[in-house]
Amino acid sequence: MVQHMNPWKRFVEWWKSLPRLEDQPVPEEDPIISRSLSWPIAISSLLLTVTLLWAFYNEGWGLRPWVRYQNRFVELYRKHLQRIGPLRAEEERALHESEGYQKLQEQLKNAEAEIRNQLAAINAEEQMVRRQLDALTPVFTTERSRIQAVIYEIETASEEDRERLRKELEELRRGPFEVDLPVSASAAIKIEEKQFSFEEMEELFNELKAEQGRLQNRRIVLLRRPTEIRREMEAYLKARLDGLTTAQVHGLMAKMDQFRVEIKQIHNPEMNLVDRCESCHLGAREPVLVTTRDMEGMKVFTSHPKVELLTLHDPEVFGCSPCHNGNGAATVSTSKAHGNYKHWLWPLYKRENFEAGCLQCHEADRNLRMAPVLNAGKELFYNRGCWGCHAREGFDSETRELRDARKMVEDLAASRQNTEIVIERTVARADRAATNEEADRLYAQAESMTLSMAHMDTLSQRYRSRIDELLMEVKTQGPNLKEIRAKLRKEWIPVWVSNPHAFRPTTKMPRFRLQQDEIEAMTAFLWQNGINAPVPAQPPGNPSNGKQLFETRGCMACHAMGEGRDAVGGTFAANLSRVGEKVNYDYLVRWIHNPRERLYPYCPVHRRDITPQDYASKGLPFEFSLENNRCPLGDHSLQVQNRTVMPNLRLSWEEARDVASFLMTQRKADAFYPPAPFVDQQLLEKGRFLTRHYGCHGCHEIAGLEESDKNATDLTKEGSKPIERLDFALLTHEARKEDWYNHKGFFEHKLADPAVYDQGKIKQPLERLRMPNFNFNREQIDQLTTYLLGSVDSVIPEKFHYRPTGPPRDIQEGWWVVMKYNCDACHQFEPGQRTVLQDLPRYQDPDWRDQLPPSLIGEGARVNPEWLARFLKNPALSSTDLNRNGVRNYLQARMPTFNLSDGEVQKLVRFFEALSEQRSPYLPPPIPALDDGELALARQLFTHPAAPCLVCHATGDPERDKNSTAPNFLLVRERLKPDWTERWIVHPEIIRPGTAMPSGLFRWDGTRYVFALAELESFKGYTGDHAHLVVRYMFQLTPEEQRRLKAH
Amino acid sequence: MFNYRNLLSALVFVFIAACGGGAREESAETPPEQPSQPAAATPMDAAQAATLSGKVSFTGPAPKGVRLRMDQDAACAKQHSGPVMLQEVRVGEAGGLQDVFVWVKEGLQGKSFETPREEVVLDQKACIYEPRVVGLVTGQNVKILNSDPTTHNVHPLPKQNREWNQSQPPNAAPLVKTFAREEIMIPVKCNVHPWMKSYIGVVSHPFFAVTRTDGTFEIKGLPPGEYTIQAWHEKLGTVEQKVTLGAQETKSLEFTFSG
Repeated sequence: MVQHMNPWKRFVEWWKSLPRLEDQPVPEEDPIISRSLSWPIAISSLLLTVTLLWAFYNEGWGLRPWVRYQNRFVELYRKHLQRIGPLRAEEERALHESEGYQKLQEQLKNAEAEIRNQLAAINAEEQMVRRQLDALTPVFTTERSRIQAVIYEIETASEEDRERLRKELEELRRGPFEVDLPVSASAAIKIEEKQFSFEEMEELFNELKAEQGRLQNRRIVLLRRPTEIRREMEAYLKARLDGLTTAQVHGLMAKMDQFRVEIKQIHNPEMNLVDRCESCHLGAREPVLVTTRDMEGMKVFTSHPKVELLTLHDPEVFGCSPCHNGNGAATVSTSKAHGNYKHWLWPLYKRENFEAGCLQCHEADRNLRMAPVLNAGKELFYNRGCWGCHAREGFDSETRELRDARKMVEDLAASRQNTEIVIERTVARADRAATNEEADRLYAQAESMTLSMAHMDTLSQRYRSRIDELLMEVKTQGPNLKEIRAKLRKEWIPVWVSNPHAFRPTTKMPRFRLQQDEIEAMTAFLWQNGINAPVPAQPPGNPSNGKQLFETRGCMACHAMGEGRDAVGGTFAANLSRVGEKVNYDYLVRWIHNPRERLYPYCPVHRRDITPQDYASKGLPFEFSLENNRCPLGDHSLQVQNRTVMPNLRLSWEEARDVASFLMTQRKADAFYPPAPFVDQQLLEKGRFLTRHYGCHGCHEIAGLEESDKNATDLTKEGSKPIERLDFALLTHEARKEDWYNHKGFFEHKLADPAVYDQGKIKQPLERLRMPNFNFNREQIDQLTTYLLGSVDSVIPEKFHYRPTGPPRDIQEGWWVVMKYNCDACHQFEPGQRTVLQDLPRYQDPDWRDQLPPSLIGEGARVNPEWLARFLKNPALSSTDLNRNGVRNYLQARMPTFNLSDGEVQKLVRFFEALSEQRSPYLPPPIPALDDGELALARQLFTHPAAPCLVCHATGDPERDKNSTAPNFLLVRERLKPDWTERWIVHPEIIRPGTAMPSGLFRWDGTRYVFALAELESFKGYTGDHAHLVVRYMFQLTPEEQRRLKAH
Repeated sequence: MFNYRNLLSALVFVFIAACGGGAREESAETPPEQPSQPAAATPMDAAQAATLSGKVSFTGPAPKGVRLRMDQDAACAKQHSGPVMLQEVRVGEAGGLQDVFVWVKEGLQGKSFETPREEVVLDQKACIYEPRVVGLVTGQNVKILNSDPTTHNVHPLPKQNREWNQSQPPNAAPLVKTFAREEIMIPVKCNVHPWMKSYIGVVSHPFFAVTRTDGTFEIKGLPPGEYTIQAWHEKLGTVEQKVTLGAQETKSLEFTFSG
C-alpha cells in the first residue's frame, strides 16, 4: 500500500512525524530570553552610519579635490583680473590719447562727416524699400506657393482635368491681390491700398529686391574709407597694446561669473586621449599670463610656461599627458593624476626631464628649437659615442644604410642574372611558337624584361655610388687604433686605458673596469695588431707660430686648451692640454695636414686593410684616394679615409709642422710613463678577446673587429621597457624604499655609476657589467636621462608624428649633418644661437670680432645653391691654391674641407634653401645687360668717394687686399642671388645686425632707392633705381672691369 | 577600492561637523608688486655737494706708439703733414696719464639723475676720432660729426646696448644717437679706416670724468657718501679705489697704472 501512496501525502506524513517545538522541554537558559544582540546591532548600525556618511562625503568631496581647486581659482583669478583691469584701462587710455590714434580718430570723424548726408539718404531709401518689401512679401509668397501647388497638380493630373486646372490657374494669377503698400509722400509715409495681378506683384517684388541690393552696395562703397580707418585704428591699438584690452579683461571676468564647477576634460578619440588635467590646472591656457605670485602662491593655477608650444600643439588635439605623462583621466587625487603610484607605469616627468615628452613625435629631429635639454642629451649620445655599443634609431644610420645598400646591390645582381635566364627562355619559346601572335607576345615580354634590366642597372649604379658616399659618411667617435704604432708612445697606452679621466678629465673615452692583467693584454693586442709602417720624418716647426695658428685658424671651435676651469675652447673634440705627452711628432704633422689620410685603405668586402703588397701583387702602385678608391683585389670600393669628423684645414706642410710643434709643447713637465713591454702571443690573444668583450670596436677602428656587432642593449625604446625588465639587481628593495624604482631612477643611477647594479653581487670579472664610466656630471645625467626617458614606443598615432615632407624635412635632415660636423661651433644658423668662437676671449676684442666666421642665418636666400654645393665640396674654390678661404680670405679662421659626400652636400644645400623658404630648384633670374650710359653711371656709383666699395672689398690684388674685410665682387655673379644682393646693399643692418657693411647707402625717395650719400649731377635724368643699377653692374662684373675700377 | 585616508578624513569630517566647526584654507595675502615706474630724479642738496679730484699717473717706460698707415685713403693721408703715430698710452707732464675714464662705479645705487640736455660731440677729424675717450649719461645725446672730405662709417660695438653701423659721407648731417644702458666702455670704430677708434663710457649718473693731458680729473657735485671709484684705460685695464666723502668735502685721489 505504502508504495502506492502519492508523494504529497508521503511528505505530509513526514512533516507531521517531525518533533514539534512545543513538545520539547523548556531549556533552562533560553538564548532568546537570556542573551541580547543589542550591542552588536548598535555597533553595526553605528558602523553603517559612519560608512554611509563617509560614502556621502567621499562622493561629494573626498573624490573631488578639484572642486576646491576650482572655487579657489575663480576667487584668485577674479581678484587678479580686477587688479590688472585698471592697469589695462590706463594703458589703453594713454594709447587713445596718443598722437597717432588721435590723428586716426580725426580722420575718421572727417570721413564720416563727409558721407553723412549721402548715407542718411541711402538709409532712408533703403528703409522705404524694406517697408514696402515687408508689406509685399507675405502676400506675394503665399500666392506664389498657391500657384506652384496648382502647377504641380496640373503636372500630375489626367488629361481631362488639366484644362479645368489651367483655367483655375489663370484665374488665380489674375488676382487681384490687395497689398497695403507704404509709399512716401514727401516727408511722411502713407499707406496705400493697392491691387495687383500676380505678374505685377512679381515684377514689383523683383524690382524692390534689386533696389535693395543696389542701395546696400552703394552704402558699402560709401563706408569703405571709414571702415578702413576703423581697421587701422584697431591695428594701431593691437600693435601697441602689450596684452589684453579692457574689453577682453571684462570678457574674462564674465567668464568667471558664469564659471561652472565641473570636470574640465579634453577628449580626442583619435588619440584615445582623455585628459582632465585642467580640472585643477585652470590657468594653463588663460590668455592672461598668470604667475605664481598672481595666484597668491598657488602654483597649480599658473599659465603654461611656454605659450608658443601650446600654439604649435593645440591642447584640444594633443591634451597634456602625451607630452607630460601622468594619468590624465584620474581626478581623485594629485598623486593619482600625476601617476605617482604603484600601478601607473608612466609617472609625470619631473622638471629636469620635461622635454622627454617631445620625443613622442619628434624622434626624427636632431635639433628641436624649444628643447635645449633634449638636444643636449642627443648631442651627448652622439658625442660620447653611446651609439658605438648601443643601437639607437637615428644614430649610426650610415652603417645601417651601408649594409642595406650592399645587400641591395647583391640582390640586384642576382635578379639581373635571373632575368637574363628568363629572357633567354622566353625568346627560345617565342622562336618555337606555333603562331605569330604567340611569338609576338613572347618577344614583347622579352623586350620589356630587357628594359627592366636596364632599370636594374640604373638602380645598381645608384646604390654603388651611394655605397661610395656612405664609406665617406660612416664615422667613429674614437680614433683609428690601427695606426696606433705610428701615432702613440706605447708607454702611454696602459696609463690611458687604466683611467682616461686621470689624464684628460673631459675626455669622451670612458673608464672601463679593468684589472692590471687585462690592461696589459689589451695594450699588447692593440700594439701588435696595429699597422707597422713608417711615417715620413718631419723637420721641427716653429711652436710660437703654431700657437698663433692654433688659436686663430679655428681649431678651438672644437678643441680646448687648459685644464679644469682654465679650459678655453670647444668641447666637441679632445682637450689638447697634454697631447704632447702621448703622440709622435711625425704622425701629428701628417694628421694636422690631413686627418683623413689613412696609412692603409680598408676593404669592406675582404674585411681587412689592403696593404702595399696587395697592390704590388696586382702590379699596381700603392696609391689610393677618394677618386681612386677601387680595391685592387676586386671590383668594389675601398674606405680610403680615416673615419674621423675632423676636417682638413688645408694648412701647408710648414704650418702643419708649426702647429704640431706647438702641440708637442703641451705636456706636464714631470710626465713619467713606466715602460710597457707587453709583447707576447698569449697576451695578444687574451687582449683580442677582451677588446671585443668590452666593445672597443664600437668607437675605434680595430683590425679584425671592423664588422663586429654592437654589444649592448638597443636603446630605441628603452624608456618604455617594462620596469621589471630593468635589472635593479640587489638594489630593487632600496630603490623601492627610496622611491626611485622607476625608469628615471634606473637611468640616473646607471649613468652616474654604470657598475651600480653589480653592488653586493659576487661575480667573476668577465661576468660583471661592462658599461664603462663616462664621468657625467649632474647636468649631463639629466640630459641623457631625458633622452632615454623619451625613447619610447609612442602613445600618439603615427599621423601626428613630426615626419614632414618637402622643405621641413630638408631642415630636419640638415640638422643631422650640421650637428655631425659641429658646424654650429663656428656658424650661426638660428637667431639667438651662440657659437663657440663667439664666446672665446680672443673674439671679445672689437678688432677680432670682424674675424668671426660668417653667420649663416638666411644663407639660403643669399647664395645660389649650385655655387653653395661647389663651395661645400671645395671651400678654397680652387684646385691649386688650397691654403686659403675661397670667399673670405681675409679671415684667419679657415673654412675647412670636410670631404662631405655628395649626399651630405645635397642635404646641406637643401637645408639652407629650406630654412630661407626658397623655391627649389633655383633658376637664376635673367639680368638685363647695362647699356653704355648705365655702365658709366654704375661705375660712378661704385667708385664714388662717398661709398668707396673697393676699400673694404677684396679685389684679388694681394697688396690691396691686406686691409680688405669683405669678399671679392667677382664672386657675386656665381655666388649670390640678385634679389638678396639688392636687399643687402639697401639694408644690410636688417640682414646682419652689427655687420661691417655700412647702412644708409641708399634711401627710398617714394618710388625707388637713390644714392643717399651725395647728389650726383650725372644722375639727373636717370629715373631707375640706383641700388638695382649697382646690383646689375655687380652681376656682370668681369676681371677686366674690376682692374679698370682699381685703376680709378 | 577601500581608501583608509578617505575613511580617516570622513571620520574627521564627522567629528568636525559634530563640533559645528569648519576648516577654511588660509593663505598669506601678499599684495602684488606694482610695475616699476621710471623714477624721478632723486632730490639733491646742492649745498652738501662734495668734490672729488685727483690725478692718474703712469709709472715705467711708456710703450712706443704705432705708426698709422693712412695711405689706404688719400683723403686721410693728405691731412697729415708727417707720419701719424698712435700712442695708446699717452703720458703727459709729471707722469700724468691722459684719456683715462674715471667714474663712480658704486655708491649711487637707488639714486637717479636727470639726463643732461646738452649734447656730447664726437668728431671725425683727419680720420681720427676726437676725443678718443668720451663719457655720456644714459639717454644723453651724442652728436657725431664728420669734418673730413671722405666717407666714414660709425660703428659702435657695445655689449649691453644695441649695435649699429652707419655711413657718414662728407658734409652729411651729424648723427645724433643715445645709449640706453650703462656700459664701460663701448669701442667705436670705422670699417673704412680700421685705425680709427674711440671709446664711449655710458654711465647712469653724471659723475665721471676723462683725465686731461696732465692726468688730472675732477668730479663735482657728488652727494656725501661712500663710493668705489674706477679708473679705466683702453690698454692698461681698470683700477679701483674706495673713498668716503662728507658734506662739502673735497678729496683728492691718486691712481697709478704701471707699464
